[in-house]
Amino acid sequence: MVVGEVPEAADFVVAGAGPGGYAAALHAARRGRQVMLVDRDGRDGVGGVCLREGCIPSKALIEAAGLFADAAAGAERGVVVSPPRFDLAVFQTFKAGIVDRLTGGVRGLLDAGKVKVVAGELSLIDETTAVIAQPGDRVRFVAFRDLIFATGSSPVELPELPFDGERVLDSSAVLDLDALPASLCIVGAGYIGVEIGIALAKLGTRVTVVEAAERVLPELPAHLGTPVARRMKALGIDVLLGTRVRAIRAGKLEVDAGGTPRRLEAEGVMVAVGRAPALASLNLSSAGIEPGPDGRLAVGPDRRLRPHIAAIGDLTPGPALAHKASAEALVAVEALCGENTAFEPAAIPIVVFSDPEIASLGEHSGPGRKSARFPVGASGRAATLDEKLGFVEVVSDEDDGTVLGVHIVAPHASELIAEGGLAVEMGATLEDLALTIHPHPTLSEMVGEAAGLGAGRALHVRPSVA
Amino acid sequence: MSAYEFMFPDVGEGLSEGEIVRWHAAPGERIRIHEGLVDVQTDKAIVEIPAPVSGTLVRHGGVPGDVIAVGAVLAVIEGDEAPRNVETPALAGRTEAASGSGVAEPAATSSSGPGSGAVSHRRARASPAVRRLARERGVDLAAITGSGGRGQITREDVEAALAGTVAEPEAAPVAASPAPRDEDRVEPLRGLRHRIAQTMSEAWRNVPHIFSMEEVDARDLVRARESANAVHASSGARIGYLPFFVQACAAALRAHPRFNASLDMDARQIVYRHRCNIGIATATPDGLIVTVVHDADEKSLRKLAEEIRDLSALARERKVSPAHLAGGTFTISNYGSYGGAMGAPIIRPPEVAIAGFGRVRESVVPVEGRAVVRPVLPLCVSTDHRLNDGEHLHAFMESVARHLREPARLLARI
Repeated sequence: MVVGEVPEAADFVVAGAGPGGYAAALHAARRGRQVMLVDRDGRDGVGGVCLREGCIPSKALIEAAGLFADAAAGAERGVVVSPPRFDLAVFQTFKAGIVDRLTGGVRGLLDAGKVKVVAGELSLIDETTAVIAQPGDRVRFVAFRDLIFATGSSPVELPELPFDGERVLDSSAVLDLDALPASLCIVGAGYIGVEIGIALAKLGTRVTVVEAAERVLPELPAHLGTPVARRMKALGIDVLLGTRVRAIRAGKLEVDAGGTPRRLEAEGVMVAVGRAPALASLNLSSAGIEPGPDGRLAVGPDRRLRPHIAAIGDLTPGPALAHKASAEALVAVEALCGENTAFEPAAIPIVVFSDPEIASLGEHSGPGRKSARFPVGASGRAATLDEKLGFVEVVSDEDDGTVLGVHIVAPHASELIAEGGLAVEMGATLEDLALTIHPHPTLSEMVGEAAGLGAGRALHVRPSVA
Repeated sequence: MSAYEFMFPDVGEGLSEGEIVRWHAAPGERIRIHEGLVDVQTDKAIVEIPAPVSGTLVRHGGVPGDVIAVGAVLAVIEGDEAPRNVETPALAGRTEAASGSGVAEPAATSSSGPGSGAVSHRRARASPAVRRLARERGVDLAAITGSGGRGQITREDVEAALAGTVAEPEAAPVAASPAPRDEDRVEPLRGLRHRIAQTMSEAWRNVPHIFSMEEVDARDLVRARESANAVHASSGARIGYLPFFVQACAAALRAHPRFNASLDMDARQIVYRHRCNIGIATATPDGLIVTVVHDADEKSLRKLAEEIRDLSALARERKVSPAHLAGGTFTISNYGSYGGAMGAPIIRPPEVAIAGFGRVRESVVPVEGRAVVRPVLPLCVSTDHRLNDGEHLHAFMESVARHLREPARLLARI
């Protein structure tokens, strides 16, 4: 801070306008705080990666790809569409419309809450003041009463494969392409690589997925990824497991497949090997805050790092997911407003928009646990969708039948998982789930059936419980 | 010679803690077995705790004003010989006066958040809304036993835990209570006042009260008391109204056992008490103490008067023993003694009824179609509606009132 510079007083500052940050800003405003929301991209940044270049845009693409694939495969069900055609440029217009509408809605809410949205990058000076570096080399000093860091994460770059914005892209850049690449190599078979790989393959791109681990979706238990791996194979996606990237040279991606060097032809390369917390520019050490060995900030149960500084979302331990960030936002705001509170969900759902979709929460099978699985192939509703792959698994306590985890690999798994979340949060038992009437014919019946299977009362499948 | 930790013993029934009032010996001083070591204020009385051994007092377990839990270290003593029954060493780790409630600390609190979406099965079974309430109000779910199915902790359980919480000076302040300002005086809620706060809120929360009020024509009662005092003038002490109230209630209780009963919701049973032990609420500087006149229905008016006098003296000096406090089956509150006219007393569970008596005063009452000035006695009976309905209450009231209107029968038992 320049000598003589007087910082402006700020009641409640939130750094980052993604799903964590804007939720925090709205909640603080609702509680009568005067909120300043700082984002690198100012008002354009509202919604963050999630709304602007991640969750929402990728789901739009995945839906479009599903529609296209269904049209192409409709003849079997009597729907004949003379060869369907996909126009990515038209799709981008559609996508931009959704993003504008949604981010515009959030901006409207922020305005209604009199939240001041400021463009710039915030970094700490000490425990009570911060500097905001604004566009045009301007700086602004703020003396804050409370501060929440919600700056999210950014894609991890591979040293041997730096992003160049043309040939080596991150997922956001791929989602912004105007023309469909004839071929794409995806480095990393985590959920982002799998989601975009499947969508582009359905639209006609020749997709190769390179993964260092021995299976796709290595962050999930193997049995959840298996149906997806089968679908990927059926879609013609070339999956190279146990394979490491070496370099990109002369337009070819050089990889090492278990000691065997290979050169992969690809119009483009998408690197999706994970996301890292965006901490570097925050200058946290000036307040004595250091990230833990996992690179995340070791916040307290109420998300505070200091009496008046909190952090949420991808910056804190746990899955880097928008719904976790939003839930933490409410806790952090209340903690900073002086309430006793804690972020203590029984489970956080994880969703992968693959084909079939995966949704998972809570415990997996293990000692003292009972696992019951109901196959998608036994669901009447799934049959009408022409789907057989996947299952609904309910994990419970062997002794008292308390539902401890629900894992779904099925069409619309992302929509089916919420019931499992409620069951785990409320401490419901297998019988509670089984005796809850599920409407027929729906995919949700599978949740009740799986629980019934665990409780020894399933109707539509022969009992076989792990 | 050996140093050992003298644990605060349980000096009364169900006692969980006490407040240190005064030390009789300072660290380094000699103490003798069976001689007073420290005065401790329990829920109802100040108790002198004797030294368990002869030797040298090494350290106090707390300063006057500290609340110490039963089983926590009260003093460290260098004994001349090893005590025969040293308290369990399990608590030896706690060296300072425990200000807690004597409840064992939970072995482990539930994990603060799921690292990777996993659930810890050790977590307390409670819905998200209940967990949030517990957080807000500073209640540790791990320390609560849930009343719901499979031990599910309900909103009511958290509220009950809150009502039973011991005010701990170092505990996090409850967000809802406004912070004291400079000019405010802060006093810890302890001892008798704390006990009253607990039992009253429990009673008010758990017992659905119904009340009935009446002004009883007290002409004959006033005369009866005067003649009783004339008869016993030689014995010195005058008889107040209270022994009459006790006798009237005892007689009514004999006729209406539903009011001399207790309700056990867990066992789903009603217990009709054989004995008729009437508690008398006595005001002391620290708050109300209820001493019990046992077998009140078998005692003469004079005997009752003596016993009530002795008990209230003991209560005011805080010298009552647990035996003076236990076993009540019905309670009388004589708020008329300090000028109160009408009241609505709160039942003391597991009892199911309480009678309140106001001040005898003159009032205009209709007698055979004419307005007549007579002494009247305001009477209010509260009963537990779970057991007694309005009809029962009316019959019991009428029975008490009749004995007071026509005290001839009571006098017969002088």
